[in-house]
Amino acid sequence: MPLLQLSTLPDADVAALAKDGREAAFRELIRRYERPVFSLIYRMVRDREAAEDLAQETFVKVLNHIDRYRPEFKFSSWLFKIANNITIDHLRKRQLDTVSIDGSPHAATAAEAAATSLDLAARGETPLDELEARELGTAIERAIAGLRPEYRACIMLRHVEGRSYEEIAATLDLPLGTVKTYIHRARHELREALAHLKP
Amino acid sequence: MNRHLLPEEIDQLLDGEVGFGTAPLKAHVRACAECRGELEAARVMVRQLEALPHLTPSPLFADRVMSCVQVFVPWHVALLDTVRGLVPRSSGARALAWAGLGSAAAVLLAISLWVVTRLDTVIFGADLALQRLRVAAVGAVSDVVASLFGDAAVQALRATGAAGILLSLVVILLTAALAAGALRAVATAGRRR
Repeated sequence: MPLLQLSTLPDADVAALAKDGREAAFRELIRRYERPVFSLIYRMVRDREAAEDLAQETFVKVLNHIDRYRPEFKFSSWLFKIANNITIDHLRKRQLDTVSIDGSPHAATAAEAAATSLDLAARGETPLDELEARELGTAIERAIAGLRPEYRACIMLRHVEGRSYEEIAATLDLPLGTVKTYIHRARHELREALAHLKP
Repeated sequence: MNRHLLPEEIDQLLDGEVGFGTAPLKAHVRACAECRGELEAARVMVRQLEALPHLTPSPLFADRVMSCVQVFVPWHVALLDTVRGLVPRSSGARALAWAGLGSAAAVLLAISLWVVTRLDTVIFGADLALQRLRVAAVGAVSDVVASLFGDAAVQALRATGAAGILLSLVVILLTAALAAGALRAVATAGRRR
């Protein structure tokens, strides 16, 4: 089947073709979701190289087990679930969950926050660092960086990917009430972090 | 409503919830400048979130992923692909192929019908061919046995019939297996040394 036709098919049909061993279908799934998955992971780990590795791990895991995909569920939910699990595992291993460019959100004093902060602008030693600083340097990105990883995943799935609360709950394996609480808290923290920008 | 909106209530309005519960909240927002400001700030924040761009991985990302993915083609798909590969691409060639297949099918049908109408002749011919085949096979086996064990062995086999032939075959196979086993043991012992 030509690629042009493949791009018009729904995810479930493309996944079915991938199950039949069609390499073009595998590539189509990557083309559709490489940016959303990479964005989610990048905003969680805030390290381009690590995000690429984790996104690659996500796709390799999903595509090598495409035969386990059940079409009654959304392909994207399955993909995001695996991406989130891999990223959370990575953050746990690296203990990066409290690292923020503005310093740890759990810092009690300004000095403590300064000690744990990362200065992206000053750090620009390599083009990659500069790219990172440009990509994640806006106020809203900096505010997202201050959130707990669980909040980050929820708020991004809700507002960047446009998922419903129910879909987020299914994707992250969380109770619906927990998802609502996380999103509520994330919004509250983001509003507070952005409050100083009010005209 | 004689109080300001709670954060949860602002969330309800942000999520665009409808129903009786949100009517008093909306009425309050219309009347209260502070809550209106809060709601507007929240909406601005949500708009900023929704405007966040999707970030792009490196250009070789898809190739890197595919180099680690095992593309497995199930046998039925491979078979279908092979069949599809045999189908000509141009419509003229396809028509020609269909015509050829149709002719072959017609010839086969005609032969089948002829066979059915002359079934007795076919059975007689098949029986004759089978008999000749059996005679040729027995002759060949007799020649082999005679050259290996002499004419006496052939006479003995003819006297004992099918049971004798079967027994001889079993003995020959067993001997061959034992010889192969012995050779292998010798070769293994040689390698160990």
